[in-house]
Amino acid sequence: MIRAFTLEWLKLKHYRVFWILFGLYLLAQLIITNGGIFFLEWLKSKGADFDGIDPTILPIYDFPDIWQNSVWLASFVKVLISFIVIVSVNNELSYNTLRQNIIDGISKREFLLSKLSLILFLAAVCTLVLFGSGLVAGFMYSHVTDLKYIFADFGFLLAYFLQLVVFCLFAFSLAMVIKKAGFAIVITMLYSLVFEPIVTSILEFAPFTRDYTAGIVKFFPIYSMEKLCGKVYESPFARYLFQEIKDSVYWYEWLIAIGWGALFMLFITWILQKRDLKA
Amino acid sequence: MSVLKINKLTKRFGKLTAVDQLDLTIEQGQVYGILGPNGSGKTTTLGMILEVVAPTSGNFEWFGGIDNVEARQKIGSILETPCFYSYLTATQNLRIVAHIKKCDTKRIDEILKQVNLYERRNDKFKTYSLGMKQRLSLAAALLSDPPVLMLDEPTNGLDPEGIAEVRQLIRDIAAQGKTIIMASHLLDEVQKVCTDFCILRKGVKLHEGSVNDILGETNAVEISAADLDTLTESIQGYNGLEKIEKQNGSLMAYLKEGNSSDHLNKFCFDQGIALSKLIPQSKSLEQEFLKILKEND
Repeated sequence: MIRAFTLEWLKLKHYRVFWILFGLYLLAQLIITNGGIFFLEWLKSKGADFDGIDPTILPIYDFPDIWQNSVWLASFVKVLISFIVIVSVNNELSYNTLRQNIIDGISKREFLLSKLSLILFLAAVCTLVLFGSGLVAGFMYSHVTDLKYIFADFGFLLAYFLQLVVFCLFAFSLAMVIKKAGFAIVITMLYSLVFEPIVTSILEFAPFTRDYTAGIVKFFPIYSMEKLCGKVYESPFARYLFQEIKDSVYWYEWLIAIGWGALFMLFITWILQKRDLKA
Repeated sequence: MSVLKINKLTKRFGKLTAVDQLDLTIEQGQVYGILGPNGSGKTTTLGMILEVVAPTSGNFEWFGGIDNVEARQKIGSILETPCFYSYLTATQNLRIVAHIKKCDTKRIDEILKQVNLYERRNDKFKTYSLGMKQRLSLAAALLSDPPVLMLDEPTNGLDPEGIAEVRQLIRDIAAQGKTIIMASHLLDEVQKVCTDFCILRKGVKLHEGSVNDILGETNAVEISAADLDTLTESIQGYNGLEKIEKQNGSLMAYLKEGNSSDHLNKFCFDQGIALSKLIPQSKSLEQEFLKILKEND
């Protein structure tokens, strides 16, 4: 695995596009997770109030709720991180360097491992940055800073990590099939932001069919990934309006997402074995 | 120990059989040419033994059956188009190759000097001309000092100077006792550098053998003298002559068995004619190639 990651690192460390995309993602993640206080200040300046409560005193950065709040927000921008994976995979296909690497002496399995190591690296760095920015915001605004609160609910950070990994594997699979990076990016966005959400929403909420179909939506790939960090309509911020929220990831939600990850890996392996790499 | 042993290797693309039941053995130290017209299955064969094209059936083994990935690390390959990361420099690209081949990065500078790219080593690959790109793939192939070199149409797209350089390089490397496998459709090229060769057509091996066996002297001798008419006349008296043909500016004499060019020379001298040209004709691979193709029609 170290050999595989070193190979990937040699390819990326001098690649400006990679650093720009990665930096943009981390910036987007930081803004969306830590920008909440500015949003609340803005609400206050507009004279908004929640039943007489000043919005800026909402404890959105309190430990441990901050983890669930940040993760739910950060998952809105997850599609951006997959661009790095798509560009990296499509470079190998369009420059024919995958073929050259294999000829020079790696196996197709090593190629898969090197890209997997990239994905794990990206997901780990993003999760760590989320953790770091959460700590900073927490220490600035949290009303409680006891260690037992800080380190509670870490499952959400793990869920975020898994979501990024599975989503990147999904993008990797698409990039293997659609060999043009631009087109692969468009399809990834269309499928994950438009097609599947529409289909799953219909299946889940359409009055005439939901009794029969609501049970199967949890098996859809994007749906299962999003369930890890909360769907759009499962905002953890509803708790500040005294509504009940879903405050944990169920065991089968972990399993389905991991299952999709494994399935994407199998698919990529299969396509690598099957496809002839021609000059 | 054979470097490469191919056993009944077959590749089908749909209805088309690109390589058909190919058997081939390449021994250490050979400079082996795979000859064939365009589309005869040369590149597909190389692709299969390098595991970028999946064989339909059959198998092969490198170095007596070691792991294929490990074997490829010991082979320097130059394929038709140079493939590198366009956004990286020559040095950065070679570091990747060194990592894959598990060899030292110390030789990078030395090898870049050898292929005349040292001055441009910190420029991005995308700024290189075709010739420079090809020299970089040469550098990549030589970086690990591999015992086997594999070349696919090595002189394709090179200028005459480049072609001469590559040929000299192949000879130099072969002189070190290394094995070279090259695919080419240029007969002349194979004749000039190879020790052994095979001919493929439509994926079928038509012939296999050593280059020296197939070449050699013919019974034709090209002669010429200052006074061509006198020569033509007097040579009719030479009893070792089978026939004579006039060519532009010289004569082609075909000798009967048992006669050689020195007999002919002596005869002419005795007749009082000094030959200005006396060239025994050797066989060319081209003639033999066409003959083999014809025989198999």
